Amino acid sequence: MSGLPEIRVLARAQENPTRIPPNLADGDLMGICCPAGDMSLEEMQPAIKEIGSWGFRVKLGDTIGKKDFTFGGTDEERRSDFQQMLNDPELKAILCARGGYGSIRILDGLQWEAFVQSPKWVIGFSDITYLHGHINRNLRIATLHSKMCNSFPADWSQVTPSQADSIRAIRTSLRGELFSIPVSVNEKNIAGLAEGELVGGNLKTMEALSGSRSAFDTRNKLLFVEDSGEYLYSLDRCLWNLKRAGQLDQINGLVVGGFRIRPDDPGDEFGMSLEEIVLEKVRGLGIPVCFDFPVGHQPENYPLKCGVSYQLRVQPDQVRLAESAGVGSRPG
Amino acid sequence: MTTIPSYLQPGDRIGMTCPGGHMSLASAQPCIDTFRQWGYDVQVGQTIGDQSSNYFSGSDDERLQDLQQMLDDDQVRAVFCARGGYGLSRIIDRVQFESFRKNPKWIIGFSDVTVLHTHVYVNFRVATLHAPMASAFPNGESANPYILSLKAALEGKKYRYQWPVNQFDRRGEAVGELTGGNLSLLAHLVGSRSDCKTRGRILLLEDVGEYLYNIDRMMHQLKRSRKLERLAGMIIGSFTENKDTTRPFGLSAYEIIYEAVRDYDFPLGFGFPSGHVRENYALKLGLGHKLRIGRNKASLEE
Repeated sequence: MSGLPEIRVLARAQENPTRIPPNLADGDLMGICCPAGDMSLEEMQPAIKEIGSWGFRVKLGDTIGKKDFTFGGTDEERRSDFQQMLNDPELKAILCARGGYGSIRILDGLQWEAFVQSPKWVIGFSDITYLHGHINRNLRIATLHSKMCNSFPADWSQVTPSQADSIRAIRTSLRGELFSIPVSVNEKNIAGLAEGELVGGNLKTMEALSGSRSAFDTRNKLLFVEDSGEYLYSLDRCLWNLKRAGQLDQINGLVVGGFRIRPDDPGDEFGMSLEEIVLEKVRGLGIPVCFDFPVGHQPENYPLKCGVSYQLRVQPDQVRLAESAGVGSRPG
Repeated sequence: MTTIPSYLQPGDRIGMTCPGGHMSLASAQPCIDTFRQWGYDVQVGQTIGDQSSNYFSGSDDERLQDLQQMLDDDQVRAVFCARGGYGLSRIIDRVQFESFRKNPKWIIGFSDVTVLHTHVYVNFRVATLHAPMASAFPNGESANPYILSLKAALEGKKYRYQWPVNQFDRRGEAVGELTGGNLSLLAHLVGSRSDCKTRGRILLLEDVGEYLYNIDRMMHQLKRSRKLERLAGMIIGSFTENKDTTRPFGLSAYEIIYEAVRDYDFPLGFGFPSGHVRENYALKLGLGHKLRIGRNKASLEE
């Protein structure tokens, strides 16, 4: 038996810290809108009910119930609804109803002055990675990567306790309270201890952001990635994009979330596992890496604050990712 | 100025390699036979018919070594990629181009080979050939006009291709170096040191088997990384086997592309015979071209 692997500490000074929007309290107002895919008012009911029970009030945007093919309204309708929520001083958070596809089509038409004056939580994942990347890179304001309205069950008895936990942790996060995330240990993990601002999201979307002014600056950060429905070769290609665009070279740690992988076509077996695909890109960096983190298109998708400083501790028997204390500044 | 590799003479050697997906020797044989009929010597690389058990035509090292040997060997006058698929991204940063720069030669292929096309063009300014690969040759197709356009290109003949106009065309004339290729790969390369340069150039796009929403996403990526705003012109090849979401996206591939470049005024021609179809003319990427999109006809002249 060899001893425990050395735990490396990789903490570097953080430049230009993000501002963290104010926490939510009882009675605070949360806006819900559809910047990407569509969602009906009926499908929205479980989320409205649950969020009401958290003590928050809900304001529904005009795009709820709108449909333009797969979109929650035309580009202009979605842009205008989101803009209105960014500008509304009453709103303390904007929850994107669902992902799908479409945020990129409205992103460059959004005005951020009011949001920068008075930051609020922008919440969602998957296609909403466009917003996380853009806000993090350009505005340096923290956002919340979490489940969205389409994951709130109509019948809570039908979901697993951890799935329910990962939804209700949105409330905990928004109130500024800490919670712990249960992580299973994957034997391919690379042990280590690292600290840094957490950034990331959907891998395919990060590839699509590469080279644009909305791509995350990943230097000295903890990076997390997740994806769903992609072939292994496509995930490999995405990671090569990030690597060749210099987005993996200087990360402090890597958190690999859930990957619902599309099976290889018969005769076209890719021949590498997800873990192998990831590790060959980062093996030489000397950073901690963990797999199977409960974030992604799966029942257990815990909220993570993009732009907030976290500590990642990967040990042979335990993985922990938690907000660091006392890093980052709060507005006003 | 872009360097033009020497055109081929009878007896010159073509190296055939598989830098990406697997290809059996039997599938490559009609192509090998045709090149020999054209009077060329063919070196069949180790990666053709490789015994690998997975998707690739050999390990990264094997594919790299095969390609590297052909780039370095002065006897090889052209490197023909027998198949695309996926794989060049995994090895491109380990390919050494010193001998190639001293002694440029034609690199031929399309689809995944877009990685080589843009890498060689932006880093070394050497022309390459966007052309049919080995799977286009079997079943009596080896003398069709598209395969013969590859033969003519290798011999140094200049071309002028004509094709019918399309309802989404934007008329006009443009002059510029031709660049581009597979949309998925061009999007994938953004931000890397193989990223295409498009300003003042004529951009070619084609793709196969993508979701319509993903075509939209990639067009937005090119637009947001400022690759579309200063084009001299644009030609759109085939977008075949498109996939759609359960609820339809609502626009065709050509409509998506049209919409992405609606705000610009460069000439735009749809339906150029290039892509993952039989109609796939050889194009000399990196060389100056004249594009004419007229009322009744569109043409592209080297």
